[in-house]
Formats: sequence, structure tokens, C-alpha cells
Amino acid sequence: MGAEPIISLRDVTKVYRQGSVDVHALRGLTMDVEAGEFTAICGPSGSGKTTMLNLIGALDAMTSGSIVLEGRELASLNKKELSELRRDRIGFVFQAYNLMPVLTAYENAEMVLWVQGVDGPSRRERVMGLLEQVGLKGMENRRPSELSGGQQQRVAIARAIASNPVVVLADEPTANVDSETAETLLELMEELNREQGVTFVFSTHDPQVMERARRVVRLVDGRVASDERR
Amino acid sequence: MKILRMAWRNLWRNGRRTLVTVAAMTLALWSMVLYTSLMEGMLGSMETTLLDVELGEIQVHADGYRERPSIWERIEDPDALLRALDETGLRSTARLLGGALVASGDVSTGALLKGLRPERDALVSEVHQRLDRGEWLDPADAKGVVLGYRLARTLAVEVGDELVALSQATDGSMANDLFRVRGVLQSLSEETDRATVFLLEDEFRNFFALEDGAHRVIVRSSEGQDLAAAAGLVEQAAATSAPGVEVRSWRDLLPGLANVFDSAQAAVQVVAFVVYVVIAILILNAMLTAVFERIREFGVLKAIGVSPRRVLALILVEGALQSALAIGIGLVASLPALWFVTTRGIDVGGLGGTAIMGVAMDQIWTGAVSPLTIAGPVFILLFVAGVAVLFPAIKAARINPIEAIHHQ
Repeated sequence: MGAEPIISLRDVTKVYRQGSVDVHALRGLTMDVEAGEFTAICGPSGSGKTTMLNLIGALDAMTSGSIVLEGRELASLNKKELSELRRDRIGFVFQAYNLMPVLTAYENAEMVLWVQGVDGPSRRERVMGLLEQVGLKGMENRRPSELSGGQQQRVAIARAIASNPVVVLADEPTANVDSETAETLLELMEELNREQGVTFVFSTHDPQVMERARRVVRLVDGRVASDERR
Repeated sequence: MKILRMAWRNLWRNGRRTLVTVAAMTLALWSMVLYTSLMEGMLGSMETTLLDVELGEIQVHADGYRERPSIWERIEDPDALLRALDETGLRSTARLLGGALVASGDVSTGALLKGLRPERDALVSEVHQRLDRGEWLDPADAKGVVLGYRLARTLAVEVGDELVALSQATDGSMANDLFRVRGVLQSLSEETDRATVFLLEDEFRNFFALEDGAHRVIVRSSEGQDLAAAAGLVEQAAATSAPGVEVRSWRDLLPGLANVFDSAQAAVQVVAFVVYVVIAILILNAMLTAVFERIREFGVLKAIGVSPRRVLALILVEGALQSALAIGIGLVASLPALWFVTTRGIDVGGLGGTAIMGVAMDQIWTGAVSPLTIAGPVFILLFVAGVAVLFPAIKAARINPIEAIHHQ
């Protein structure tokens, strides 16, 4: 495991305006994520888990504070740079899988590499290897509707790690699958983390998931209430 | 390539909607191709009737004749002018014009007698080919006359019937003579239909006691020859052979009709645009619905780093594919319809002779095909579809990924 932080949050706040009311989703959150970590962000609903992942993932802008990813201050980047950062350095796994329904498993996993401009043969080699790695060999040509929830989430994981991102952000990745499938997904993520050094930061409610995390950060009211490394 | 593949598959996620949209675009294109062809055919036919049968490209009259038509106001030596025009290579003929009262049985009406030499006139005018019944003038049948379509109906005369003409001769005497109806023309124009009697030049001169001169010289330009250049040649020829005349192109003689021809293409495009605006609303609605249904997907695409430009391209390609389908099907479907209207045409005889600005349409309304028949409707469809799809495409490209992903 690396010791240098790849993500650094300092005194980050995020305030949403809902009608005439200010909602404080994050209140001065400070934490670091180091390369190779397998980190669970947990906490009750409304504690700021998803907001934190969105800010790290450059999907949303913080109200104040600082977020540095691989030495780059996110607040200083324009929209195009943020889009390129997401494309090249961050992988996303969503709770509802969010695969493109008109694309096959192969094409979904290939998507980011295509956007990056990787040539066809290189894409094919990389994606076929990834699909085999996530246990979907032989299912390359199936569309999402022909795959189970767990298989769809495996495709989403393959898509997230296809470009070798510095971090994979997963928002409740096991929330939509049964416990058995959740177990196999966690095993897959652990394996990718252990064997390939992929850094995972995921939000969860699931005690089963928290148990397997090597670091558990608990948020309460938009602040870090506890940060436990195992 | 991937955008094309995605766009194509996206279209068939809701196949019924795509089919309805493509069908509407196809129908619009098909009807506009047909409409354009029929309009081009109608205008072409009107122009032929107007120039080949009636006016010619250029006319020469004695100064002042057009303002106050009179049997005494004439070109003094029309043969000299015709010879001069022959030397320029322009085809020409002289006509004599005089008003008379014509009667058959108890019915009488005013008419314009037009005297001509059939052989010379046939070089310039196709009127001799536009007979509804009977035969054209023949020097062997001196008293034979040919009547306009409505005049024959007004007088209730048929081929072979007698016709009495009364007027005042140029020498002040009473002009009267008995003629025989030799032929009746098709519907050509308001003036010809209602009040024209064609007769031989010699008979005209006898009737009006007019020894020389002519009232009108009709000149035809060569195929593709510039009208102003041809008019210039006529003016040069007239300057030496027939001083004291005015030379006018058909555009000067009938500026209103010239405008109709000039603006007809614009009118076709306006109608096409109106039809297509309806189609644009349909496309806009279909594409907006398609974008709304896929907001989460666009959010995910944006989240994983797909640029707004690529999202925009995806929607535009979806619109382009639908347009391409409609154009392909629409053009193939147009072929038999175009074949029908250009070869068989539509019989509008039941309308009883339709005229536009005084120029009659043919009884069989046929279409015409030019590159514009196809290119015009296709180009406007592409433009309108492009505009209609742009708004949904921009909306998709500018989607906020967070809001989109959590969109319910």
C-alpha cells in the first residue's frame, strides 16, 4: 500500500439551496485517501456520503475548502479539464449500475477507452481481459437486459477500472443486489485492490461491506465522526 | 462509428415512435417532391402557352398602339422589319388586329380579329397545334376562321357553322362578311378564349379595307438566348427598317405574370417550409421525449467523461439517421408517383378551364422533373430536421451529470 495521499480533502463544505433553506451536506470535512486503500464511507442517510463522493469525483463543486487529486486542485479546473479528469483518472460505479442499455457488456466496458481515443486492438485486448477478470467471459455480447444485477455491476466495475484510474468511486455498489451477489462483488473489488492496487472508495450502509473494508470512515452531519484503519 | 451504432440502436428502443416520426417525414418529403414536380410542370406549361402560343418573347408595335389600340396605328412596312429580323436569325411574324362584332344566329358578341399568314406564323407560334376540334387556317379555304374556346361556346357555333362579322373599315365604310368556322381552339388564355377569331391576312385586309401595315410583330428568341440581348437585336433591326415602333419583351408586356414565374419557386419553398414546420414539431416532440427518457444515461455518459460535443453528436446522428431513412424511403416512393404525373398527368378538364393570371392550364396537368424537384424538398427537410433536433441535442449535451443520474 502507498503512503502518499492521492486525494486530499481540507475543510470541505457543501451547502445546497432547497427553496429558501440552506442544507449543509458537508461541514468542514477533512480527510486523505492514500493509494491502494479500500475505504468504506458509512453513515446514516443525509450524512454526506454521496455528496463527498460526488465532490471527489469532480461531478459537483464544493462550496468552500480544498480537494486535491493527484496534486491538482479541483476548484482550479474548468469544465473541460474536469471532464478529462473524470475520463482519465476516476472510475465510477453507481448503485443502479447505469450501463448503456443499447450497448453490449463488451461495448459498455470499452466505452471509456473509446472516449480516451485508445485504438481498437488495444481496447479489445484490455476489455476482453477485464471481462474475464470480472467473471463475464463468454457474456461479452449480452446487453444489460440479458444480465443479472450482479453481472451488470461487474460490467460497471470493468468499465470503471478499464482506464486504470487513480481511484474508483462506488456509491453503494451492493445496495441493489442480494447478499450472496454482494459478497461476490466485494470479493472481486478486494481482489482488484489487492492484486492490481486499485484504490476503492465506496459509500455503504451494509455492515457486511463495512466488515470487509480495511478503512471505515464514518460521517455524521457532514463531518468525519470516526476514521478506523484495520 | 460507436456513436453511429449507439444512435441506430437508440432509435429502435422505441421503434413505434421512430417509425411514426420517419413515416411523417417520408410522407412530407413524398408530397413535397410531387407538389414541386406539379408546380414545375404547371409553370412550364404556362410558360409554353404564354410564349410559344401567345406572346412570343418580344413584340413590336407602332408607337402608341399599346396605350390606344386602333386599326389605324400600325407598323408601316412590316415586311421590311420581318426581313431585317430574318437577317438577325430571329424568327418573326406579323399580325393584324381589329375589333368586330361577330354573330351567329341570334347571338352576337365583340371579338378581336387576328389576321396572319399561316406558313410564316407557324415558325413563331404553336397556336395552330392547339386546336380542340376542326382544322387550322388554310389559304385554300379563304373564308375559314378559327375561334377561341369560349367564344365558340358563347356563339354556340361548331365547325362548319357560319359566322357573320361586322365592323367599320379603315375607309369609313361598313365592313361585313360571312365566314365559316373551320376550327375551335383549346383553352389558351383569357383573351384568346373569350374573344379571338383567327383568319387569313388577306381576308383581314379585305374585310377592313387595309392595304398595308401590321399591328403587331411577334419575335421568338433562340433557345437559351438572353431576353435583353434579343430585344437589343430587334431594336437594332427596327431602327433601320421600321422607325417609329416600340419593342417590348414579354416581361414588359406582362410584368405581373413575370413576377408570378419569378416568385413561383419561392412560393413552392414557402409551402414546403410550412409543411415541414409541422414535421419539425413532431421531430422536436419525439426527440425531446427520447432525451427526457434517457436523462440518466446522458448523466452517466457525462460522468464517465464523455464530452458534451459527443453527446450532442449522438442526438444529431439520431436525427440524421431518421432523416436519411425518410429521404431514402420517400425518394423511392416518389418514383412511381413522379412517373405517373410526368407521363400520364392529372386530368383537370373537369374544372372547366383553369387560368392563372389569364393564362390557361392544359387540360392534362403534367409534372416536370428537374434536379430542383428532388434537391429542394430534400434540402429543406434536412434543414428543418436539423433545427428541430438541435434543441434536444443541446439540452442533452448540457445536462448536469449529478441531477441527471439521480433523475427519477
